[in-house]
Amino acid sequence: MGQFSKIFKFELKGYLTNKVFVGVTALIVVVLAVVLFFPRVMGFFDSDEPGDSDAAEPGERDVMLVSGGDESVRSALAAAFPGYDVRLENGDVKAPVTNGQAACAVELHGLTDFVYYVDNLSMYDTNADTISRVLTELYRLAAMTEAGVSPEKAQEIMSAAAVYEVRSLGVDQGQNFFYTYIMIFALYMVILLYGQMVATNVATEKSSRAMEVLVTSARPTAMMFGKVVASCLAGFTQLVCIFGSALLFYKLNESYWAGTELIGMFFDMPVSLLVYMLVFFVLGFFIYAFLYGAIGSTASKLEDINTSVMPITMLFIAGFFVVVTAMSSGSVDNPLMVACSYIPFTSPMAMFTRIAMSHPAFYEVAISIAILAASCVGVGIVAAKIYRVGVLLYGASPKLKDIIKAVKNA
Amino acid sequence: MQLELRDIHKSFGEKKVLTGVSFKAESGKAFGLLGRNGAGKTTSIRILMDVFPANSGEVLLDGEPIDYKRVGIGYLPEERGLYPKKKIIDQLIYFAQLKGMRTPDAVRSVDKWLERLGMTEYRNKRLDTLSKGNQQKIQLVTALAHDPEIVILDEPFSGLDPVNAMLLKDVVKEEIARGKIVLFSSHQMSYIEEFCDSIAIINKGVVALTGDLHDIKREYPRDKLAIRSTQQEQIAAAFPGRTSMAENGELILRLSDPGEKMTVMQRLSREFDIDEVRVFEPSLNDIFVEYAGEQE
Repeated sequence: MGQFSKIFKFELKGYLTNKVFVGVTALIVVVLAVVLFFPRVMGFFDSDEPGDSDAAEPGERDVMLVSGGDESVRSALAAAFPGYDVRLENGDVKAPVTNGQAACAVELHGLTDFVYYVDNLSMYDTNADTISRVLTELYRLAAMTEAGVSPEKAQEIMSAAAVYEVRSLGVDQGQNFFYTYIMIFALYMVILLYGQMVATNVATEKSSRAMEVLVTSARPTAMMFGKVVASCLAGFTQLVCIFGSALLFYKLNESYWAGTELIGMFFDMPVSLLVYMLVFFVLGFFIYAFLYGAIGSTASKLEDINTSVMPITMLFIAGFFVVVTAMSSGSVDNPLMVACSYIPFTSPMAMFTRIAMSHPAFYEVAISIAILAASCVGVGIVAAKIYRVGVLLYGASPKLKDIIKAVKNA
Repeated sequence: MQLELRDIHKSFGEKKVLTGVSFKAESGKAFGLLGRNGAGKTTSIRILMDVFPANSGEVLLDGEPIDYKRVGIGYLPEERGLYPKKKIIDQLIYFAQLKGMRTPDAVRSVDKWLERLGMTEYRNKRLDTLSKGNQQKIQLVTALAHDPEIVILDEPFSGLDPVNAMLLKDVVKEEIARGKIVLFSSHQMSYIEEFCDSIAIINKGVVALTGDLHDIKREYPRDKLAIRSTQQEQIAAAFPGRTSMAENGELILRLSDPGEKMTVMQRLSREFDIDEVRVFEPSLNDIFVEYAGEQE
């Protein structure tokens, strides 16, 4: 335990005083601050601008020409488009649009048929839909009035709508999708990045020959666990910094984000899910970090690392894709996902996703966590053995067969 | 204290690396572990340090199986290197802590050693800013700072300039005088001869020769005289077919019988101008070549 804590402290200090590590974390926090303060800063500049129209400059509104309609159509459209100066036009409406005199034009062929002219159609231009809605409403009102319904009654009928409320008895996949995705992606990034860091760390010690002294000073299990736990905590610290500052910035700007459901959804994560996240993060991190550490110990040169870790990285990426595909198809409980949620190398992502977006039975979750935890210990011990043998093997990267043989002999 | 390796066997897979290696090292004396490259020196050292276990055989301290939790071992590996990018003081304290020292003791001891080796000014520098020789002195601190009972130095003098070599010699002599078991491994025979009372020569995983260096030398037949004289040519002419030149310029005269020594010495001093005449003892180099070199 004594050696473990010393190795742990030394390694953790190594991470936390690493300029790149600190720099990257600070940069991400700054980017988050910029993003999350953006609406507030924009609001500050735009505060006196009239609401709906994005293209209109104050005092000089865009012109919308209407041909083939009467004053009632014009006023209805003017009410629906407060950002536009809606004018009636009897002649050609295409020319003013092309030469820029009007932003857009509506050519009516009766209340149920119209052409919407605009110069360049923006992706976000929903004017035609709005016009259609306004005209449909006018048409229905007119039709009802014609059929003898009083205008007031007609208005009432038109404005009636069924009131409804959605109550999800399981989990709301739509809402959970976003933060599950972010969490899975964070897990993915952290494991890949820190796994590589552990592998590089071990290989650096080996190639700088610091290993010669280390291996005679500390037990390999203490070395392995010290390194992995330290990198896990470093990764976790980084995540807490990033998500913590994001939450803080969001809370500071909550009112400015009021209209943006997506962001709100993310910060609405239930606490129980955070706890599961933590459990799967730690265990998933460990199991991969052990593997990366073991592989790092078998490489004699830093250049060998990238090719050596490839199989593990591929395994992990494959797991990630299974999970992401299941998430986007909505069937997170498909047989593949169920299988993956018990396999220790994929369960951190697969089981977490199932918990977040479905409702697996408690025993399923417990079994998954138990398998994962037991595998962690097992992989840790095997990794320490590989490490003990691997760090003293120099020269060409040994084959898997040789490593297994050497571990058996050691 | 007496450190003993008894009948150590070790193989890696099919490859037999050590076959029945045994030797003894005493405290207060230096022990030289010799052998050609790949003979099994490093494997012996690693088994001695419990980096990996032997297939069979024992490592004993005063006749008991060694308890690694109690006995401190300091090691200067042949392949040198620490953390190049880290501050020297940080890593030295870390290594001392790994060897079981408490932080304040570690700081004190590391500072003492840095001063002893004249490295205090580099205390807060990064290791890779130092020259190779100075890095080696830093590495020596990792072997000595925790005041180990057993000190293992693998090629300690390689890469050191004469001044630093002298400094290291003094340090090693101090450690021996303090009753440490000092184990040397080197190819530089002159240093081994200077320090070591006992040696073991390992050849292809077998101890080819071990024992007290003086005894080993005395066991050689004392049938040659080493002569330094201004009249070496005349002496050679007076003893036809019995003389040869040694590398150091001495004339070697083979006696027909060791009992002939006195009469030949008297004759030499009577008939020639003799600077020095003594019984020829083989150098460690000669012994090494004989035991480690020829048994291919």
